Amino acid sequence: MKEKKDFNISRRSFLKISAGAAALTGVSLPKTAFARTEEQLSTLIDLSLCNGCADRQKPACVGACKAINKDKIPQVVGNIPEPWPRKTIEDWSKKQDVANRLTPYNFIYVHKAQIEGKTIFVPRRCMHCDNPACATICPFSANSKKKNGAVVIDQDLCFGGAKCKDVCPWEIPQRQSGVGIYLHVLPDFMGNGVMYKCDLCNDRLKEGKLPGCVEACPRQALLIGPRKEIEKIADQRARAMNGYIYGKTENGGTATLYVSPVSFELINKTIDKKPGQPNMKPQIVRRMAATDPLAKAVLAAPALGLAAAGALNWFSRRKELVKKEEKNNG
Amino acid sequence: MAEKILEEKNLVIRHSALELIEHWAMAISGLILLLTGIFELPVAKRYYIIVVPGLGWSADFITSLYLHYAAAFVFTAAGIFHLFYHGLRGEKGMIPQKGDLAASITVMKSLIGIGKEPPLHKYLPEQRLAYVGMAVTMLMLIASGLVKTYKNIYAPDMSHMVLLWATWIHNIFFVLFFLAFLAHMAAIALRPNWPMVRGIFTGAVRLDYARHRHSLWVNEIEQVQIVPRTVIDATPLPTADPAPDDEAASPPVAELISEDKIDGKVEQMPEDEKAAQDKE
Repeated sequence: MKEKKDFNISRRSFLKISAGAAALTGVSLPKTAFARTEEQLSTLIDLSLCNGCADRQKPACVGACKAINKDKIPQVVGNIPEPWPRKTIEDWSKKQDVANRLTPYNFIYVHKAQIEGKTIFVPRRCMHCDNPACATICPFSANSKKKNGAVVIDQDLCFGGAKCKDVCPWEIPQRQSGVGIYLHVLPDFMGNGVMYKCDLCNDRLKEGKLPGCVEACPRQALLIGPRKEIEKIADQRARAMNGYIYGKTENGGTATLYVSPVSFELINKTIDKKPGQPNMKPQIVRRMAATDPLAKAVLAAPALGLAAAGALNWFSRRKELVKKEEKNNG
Repeated sequence: MAEKILEEKNLVIRHSALELIEHWAMAISGLILLLTGIFELPVAKRYYIIVVPGLGWSADFITSLYLHYAAAFVFTAAGIFHLFYHGLRGEKGMIPQKGDLAASITVMKSLIGIGKEPPLHKYLPEQRLAYVGMAVTMLMLIASGLVKTYKNIYAPDMSHMVLLWATWIHNIFFVLFFLAFLAHMAAIALRPNWPMVRGIFTGAVRLDYARHRHSLWVNEIEQVQIVPRTVIDATPLPTADPAPDDEAASPPVAELISEDKIDGKVEQMPEDEKAAQDKE
């Protein structure tokens, strides 16, 4: 009952905010979370509102995220085992302050695009895809999608093979070597650390709090709420500014919707694309979707095997019976 | 069941065409599953497998997934078919029997020269035991693989607990499947088992080998396929009343007569064979 009441309050507050896109600046974000562990959530990132916190040393979303996750990564071992045979070690433990790209210690950064003399600020982090290959293809299921839409890596289960990074069209997860379960198994031959990325502050959501970046944004450029509501607001805002949406269809759909007055094609063309600073290519295809028809055939295979067994058995028995009858009839 | 003695060719048919298709469908798809399963782990780049000519694709997890699914389709359909088809027909030749464990130890000891190998049925006792082990392993892989496949298409947010169970069952039985495959290859490498290898390629093994090693099996066939012997030998061998199931599974005697006569294959028993039987 209590939860229902809370939900109603938060829903009202949420709708109040969403009433008018133009009126949004300056309206204080309700601190009552929309957070649910079962309800599908989405985040809205409005690029017309984000100014990259130019007046601050570090964007507020980045600072809040760093503060919340500062103790997330355990102490990295002194001598990080050298993987064999490819000797790749990724150690960010001495560069924890880096804030202008994704690192194991930095789950959100603000990507800048210079377009026609104007700077567009794009907060970048995990998109929390609807069907995330990074999670579904994880060989140890260390990475999983939650009912609320958050895609979360369990650092106690992750071996740091970086498969999730390889299949992510934005290469979001970042590896820290020298930590994690692999150290206790076969560190020289298997695993190479732990993958880290934004988990939508899932623990905070469970407590009914907002994700750090959403809570900290001084311009309410980031919002979180029930998926359908967020989609509605994104559409309204995009229409109002004659703008564009990113994340609705990209990689099969995501739980993060960017709204921008500038096209994402232009943003993608303009931004620097480097390791830890991913592209923003529109209409990115979810590659795994192409395997779905074959996967459906696999699901049908037991029924097919069973039907074939039944049919062939019936046919064989019938053949035997006919032969027997023919013999009996002389 | 197409078991049949072809005296003239010194062969005995051990597997039907259907059984050969089942075996090879599962074997080839199983090997592809093993390989692509390994490639679903982040090993191809790390271990430089991608530099091996022809394996450049091995680090592309989605390509491996296509192949894994394609092989899983064959593996699952063939596995389920095998289980139900032979189950429905009541064929229990590969189901372990009482005393198989002790008998398999005796057989294995005889392979290294300790003691004498007891007379065997169509399958060796350790083959029957291994069959159950392999069947359980395959079923666990199929069941857990189906859960993972369902998750990939319809339920990426399925219960993490269920997913962890499916994943770890899949991973553990993948290792067991790999070990079982190695054991299977090791069994083939043993010289006394060599004559059986042609059986899984052609369906037939040498009759002299079968008489020598699988005498219990050959006797069983001879009890049904009695006519050629009675043609030669005036003293008929004891006939067993076939159970209804056996009747259905085995070719009727009349059929054998006509087939043999038409083929002209089993007109006469070889002299040495006859002598051996007379001696008995």
